[in-house]
Amino acid sequence: MYLDINPSTVIFAIINFCILVVGLKVFLYKPVCNMLDSRKEEVANNLNSAEEAKLEAQKLKDEYAAQLQNARSEAQDIINQAAKIGEQTKADIVNEAREEAARLTAKAQADIAREKTEALNEIRNEIADLAVLAAAKVVGKTIDVADHQNMVNDFVKEVGEAK
Amino acid sequence: MFLTNIAYAADHGHSAPLFHIGPLEVTSEITTMWAVMALILIVSFLGTRNMKRIPSGIQNVLEMGIEMYENFWTDILGKKRTRELMPFLATFFILILCSNYSGLLPLAGTLPGLKPPTSNVSTTAGLAIVVFFLVLYYNLKVQGPIGYIKHLIGPMPAISFLMLPLNIVEQFTRPLSLALRLYGSVYGEEMVVASLAALCPLVLPLTMQVMGILFGAIQAFVFTLLASIYLEEATAVHH
Repeated sequence: MYLDINPSTVIFAIINFCILVVGLKVFLYKPVCNMLDSRKEEVANNLNSAEEAKLEAQKLKDEYAAQLQNARSEAQDIINQAAKIGEQTKADIVNEAREEAARLTAKAQADIAREKTEALNEIRNEIADLAVLAAAKVVGKTIDVADHQNMVNDFVKEVGEAK
Repeated sequence: MFLTNIAYAADHGHSAPLFHIGPLEVTSEITTMWAVMALILIVSFLGTRNMKRIPSGIQNVLEMGIEMYENFWTDILGKKRTRELMPFLATFFILILCSNYSGLLPLAGTLPGLKPPTSNVSTTAGLAIVVFFLVLYYNLKVQGPIGYIKHLIGPMPAISFLMLPLNIVEQFTRPLSLALRLYGSVYGEEMVVASLAALCPLVLPLTMQVMGILFGAIQAFVFTLLASIYLEEATAVHH
């Protein structure tokens, strides 16, 4: 038995194979390989950018944490300062009030003293007048009012000093 | 009855031409091959016509298949040569697989115009000749004519008078064995199916056809694997 080779079939098989290689290259391998490659690239890119984004986020987070820490210590400083200022203001107000009170007290005492002097003077004058009137009644004659007043004043002064 | 059926099947092992294109005869194997090719191309076209970033349907299957091929051959050939040789190797595999499976169709081998292409030695010889010339082309391209002759002479000049003829013969026996192995396996299986169908056409051929699913894949794989090993040898850069 021999192998019955048909040359036409052999040639057709070769041609068919070549056509199929070209057709599959165009319709299958190129598009699929391109798609696989581009997808691989895309995945790699995505992973890289995700990694970058993660690092960026970590950086931002650290930054924010530092900022928060700063803000916190600053706030603490401000509070401390405010407390100090408040303390200072309180002391100032108290001192001022004390001074004011002292001033008022002194003024009041001065007023009282002045009033007292005035009242004494008035009383002195009144007494002098009354004494002149009484003396005039007793003596029965009118003496010079001015002289008499002087006499009474001198007397009152002496009495006051003797007292 | 049984013998006439066997004779019928055997007779159709080498089918008569259906029609002619110019001086070339078109046999049932060739028409079936055209149908198989058309099917492969249509599926490929449909699957890659509107490719999406997130694959679905046929695109998914095709991508998975191509990726599987690529991974498999990257182990043998490396990444760069796989990209270059894959169109040939994958086409061998797909074409032979679909051709083998075309024999599982009902009436395959008896209906004019429907006959598994790989059950004819002329078709497998055609494919093997393609392998032969691919190997030759890559040998000459990668190693140059002188390098190729050196490769044929072998590493020991003292015994080159022995090695040269052996190596030259080997270049021819490799495609010959490819052609005969594929043809013999598929043709033999067809014959067994035909014989079993002659004995009892109802269930009996099915047992062999189930085996045919396995054999079809194995033979396609073996042919492609051997072709890839030959091509690996041809494209290997010798230091």
